[in-house]
Amino acid sequence: MNHDIELIVNGEHRTLTVASQQTLLDVLREDLALTSVKHGCSTGECGACSVLLDGEVVNSCMVLAVEADGTEILTAEGLASEEELHPLQKSFIDHHGVQCGYCASGMLISAKALLNRTSRPHEEEIREALVGNLCRCGAYADIIKSIQVASRARR
Amino acid sequence: MISRKPHVIGKPFPLIEAQKKLTGKTCYAGDESVGPDMLHARILFSERPSARFRLQNLEAAREFPGVIALLTAQDINGPVGRTIADRELLASERVRYVGQPLAIVAAETPEAAAAALKQIQVDYEEEPAVLSIAEALAKNAPVVHPNYREYPGAEHLNATPEHNIAHELSFARGDVEQAFAKADIVLERSYSAAHLQHAPMETHGGVAQQQPDGSIVMWMHVQAPFLQRSIISKALHLPPEKVRIITGCVGGSFGGKVFVSIEGLLAAIALHVGGRPVRLLLNREEEFKGVFMAPAMQARLKMAATKEGRITAIQATYDWDVGASVDAALFHLQAVILAGTGPYAIPNVKIQTRAIYTNLLPAAPLRGVGIAQVHWAIEQHVDELADMLNMNPLNMRQWNLVKGGDQLFPNFVMHANGLESCGLQVVKAIDWQPTAPPPAPAPNNTPTSPSYTGSGRGMAIGWSPILLSDQCGSSVTIQLDAENLCNVIVDGVDIGQGLYAFATQLISFELNIPTEWITVEPTDTANFDPHWEASYHNLLWSTGHALLKATAELKHQILAYVAKAWKEPPTNLDIVEGEVISYATRRKYPLLTLLEQGMDDDAPPPAFSVTSTYRPPNVNDSIDSQLQSFAATAYAAEVQVDERTGALKILQLAAAADVGHALNPESVKAQIKGGMIQSVSFTLLEAMLFENGVPLSVNFMDYPIATTADMPQQLHPIVVEVPQQSGPYGARDLSHHVQVGAAPAIANAIYRAVGVRIRDLPITPQRIYDAIQKKRNAEDHNS
Repeated sequence: MNHDIELIVNGEHRTLTVASQQTLLDVLREDLALTSVKHGCSTGECGACSVLLDGEVVNSCMVLAVEADGTEILTAEGLASEEELHPLQKSFIDHHGVQCGYCASGMLISAKALLNRTSRPHEEEIREALVGNLCRCGAYADIIKSIQVASRARR
Repeated sequence: MISRKPHVIGKPFPLIEAQKKLTGKTCYAGDESVGPDMLHARILFSERPSARFRLQNLEAAREFPGVIALLTAQDINGPVGRTIADRELLASERVRYVGQPLAIVAAETPEAAAAALKQIQVDYEEEPAVLSIAEALAKNAPVVHPNYREYPGAEHLNATPEHNIAHELSFARGDVEQAFAKADIVLERSYSAAHLQHAPMETHGGVAQQQPDGSIVMWMHVQAPFLQRSIISKALHLPPEKVRIITGCVGGSFGGKVFVSIEGLLAAIALHVGGRPVRLLLNREEEFKGVFMAPAMQARLKMAATKEGRITAIQATYDWDVGASVDAALFHLQAVILAGTGPYAIPNVKIQTRAIYTNLLPAAPLRGVGIAQVHWAIEQHVDELADMLNMNPLNMRQWNLVKGGDQLFPNFVMHANGLESCGLQVVKAIDWQPTAPPPAPAPNNTPTSPSYTGSGRGMAIGWSPILLSDQCGSSVTIQLDAENLCNVIVDGVDIGQGLYAFATQLISFELNIPTEWITVEPTDTANFDPHWEASYHNLLWSTGHALLKATAELKHQILAYVAKAWKEPPTNLDIVEGEVISYATRRKYPLLTLLEQGMDDDAPPPAFSVTSTYRPPNVNDSIDSQLQSFAATAYAAEVQVDERTGALKILQLAAAADVGHALNPESVKAQIKGGMIQSVSFTLLEAMLFENGVPLSVNFMDYPIATTADMPQQLHPIVVEVPQQSGPYGARDLSHHVQVGAAPAIANAIYRAVGVRIRDLPITPQRIYDAIQKKRNAEDHNS
């Protein structure tokens, strides 16, 4: 069965027809070509598909597209403006917060949600905020540093 | 004086693909943009470890709506392998492990592909399986590969297939028996390490399409495209140039995307769908059960020492459970035999390493290629010897370390190295002055900790051989023109380790041009002749030398061009900060103007292009002919153990790695820190578990990898620089050796915390708890 849904994705209003079983992840990747949102496990264990849904981090593989009807979605594509990278993106580049890069978009999204809540998080808070985002390269230390520096720069 | 700027070697330099990766613009598996006619492939995997089988109902699957092609071993079959072809593209007659591909389908949608495979009924006639090293070596054990001798390449290996020994290497010097007889102390122990998964965040996948001329183009995310081309073309009976692999970004490999696993099947099905593009993308469960895993180890170690602490003999057997295929694990065995004594100068040596076939998932090298597991054994053993002798564990190691000038193998003399420096620095980093004898392990030995916790510190030193095989050549192309400025193609793949950043730094430095001019293109096998594989574990060495050659030649061409126009000898000229200058006449000409306008109104502006190749050395069959150097590392750990539960906390972890010369220091530190976290994960969390040969660990709940919650409280990455004389700028590759030493350092620290030694990896709270209980029971019994 198909459903018509409306989303605001990275600031743009989108109207979509989706199947009942389609996940938000599928719709973002396949229908909207937002490939920063990654397939990692399809079971909500790895965080590679993290997006902001009305400001909260969700694993988009665990959300049905119909459930997201009427919400506002932010993906890593929506972080940078046309002219400028987001301070988090800049900081990840400067402080080696990315190695293979597959987890990077999800990390940025979790970091964004954290900074929305807490403008200057402690290291412990950052560790906690990232606990659902797996990075097999083990780049956590530099990711944490990147977020810390970005949070200071924002102030 | 004219300074040579920009001097970017040895200075912080961002990874050049980082911006694309952080804005979602990189192409990983599943991101390839393909037209609407794309098909979706899916593999049917075996569910039995050892069985004869028949596929029933194939017609129903073939006729399922949306299905374009379905292949079984009846349609395509070929042995697959680099050195020995001990795998099949698709199983024929017998399956040898759960997860072995039986069939592949291509359909209009992923759903149709999955539903079509459900039509197939697999009738298994089960046969006895061997599921561990012990079972495989038992008398009258079932034979995993009865037809081993018929496999292409079998003659290259030292196998005893009737006893499931797939390959065996040994090394001996001196007389261990005599040394054991004369020794003051002898210690013999067994150690083990579990099967591990590479578990990249990006699962295996890609797209393949047959071209009108019959060739195949594959868009893949692999670590060694040239090696893959060679293996795939052999398996499909195609000339290598008929298989073209274009690499996209690689979302983690760690060795798991070097050898061919599912890629050969993707190429095969692409030949049967009328030229339409086909995508294959594994899900997480398939990634765990259907690709590769790192071999499990069983080690038996015996060492002798004098009462002064001089190690006089080592006898060791390192056995590896390589599952149903040894082909991808051969490099692993070679590294193990060269590193098998640990970093110690021991006069009497007898070591042996064997690959054992079982009915489990095939093995492939994992970052650390077994060297980490070898040190798990040796570095605990040496620690225990030090304890037995009442010696300081640091001094014991220092006295026995290999030194520059030591003749280690018939054709190899040890070079200047950072072994001792690494050891001294890690101990200092965690503020530890090791003592002899160690403080009696007792609870409450830190004033702030509750009485049920013990804390302690431990260390390990390690070495890792760097091998240059006859396949490790490298080719690079550098083009300089007005349109693209400096365009570079290298044959190695950047998997996040910073290869392209290194290439940019090197070219910028050698040609004295701004880094902003330089673009490094992802590798495409069509760019180079298929003579070798492009090494994947020493790219800094091979690609670095090829780039040095190419930049020298390019500079020569540019200077010759300008010299001709200026009517000066080229030796007067140089490139400085993007300008060609003459030291003799003080003339200057911007390189950019040269590329855009040329030097003469009558001639078009020049474009320069150079392809250079680093040729691998000649090697022979001797054990040390591929040995280029040893890389040094050390680890030190401070841990806290809860004696009631066995729960372990790593308070501090220090790692030092000798990289020769850190060309991109922050990037080197990032690699060391990443290696530390990954090591903690391997040491404390990871083990591939099976029940009757069926993998149980097929998701991140059952195969946990380290999260931010598992990080040590403090990390101390340390860069040690003892130049590698023959390396580019004195540098050496950093990949495997950062994994060496973490596990034994943590285990040695646990011993100093609570007095128990854990000799099986991973170190779980349960194992610590059990060991503490066992020790208490023994103490009660004695009192």
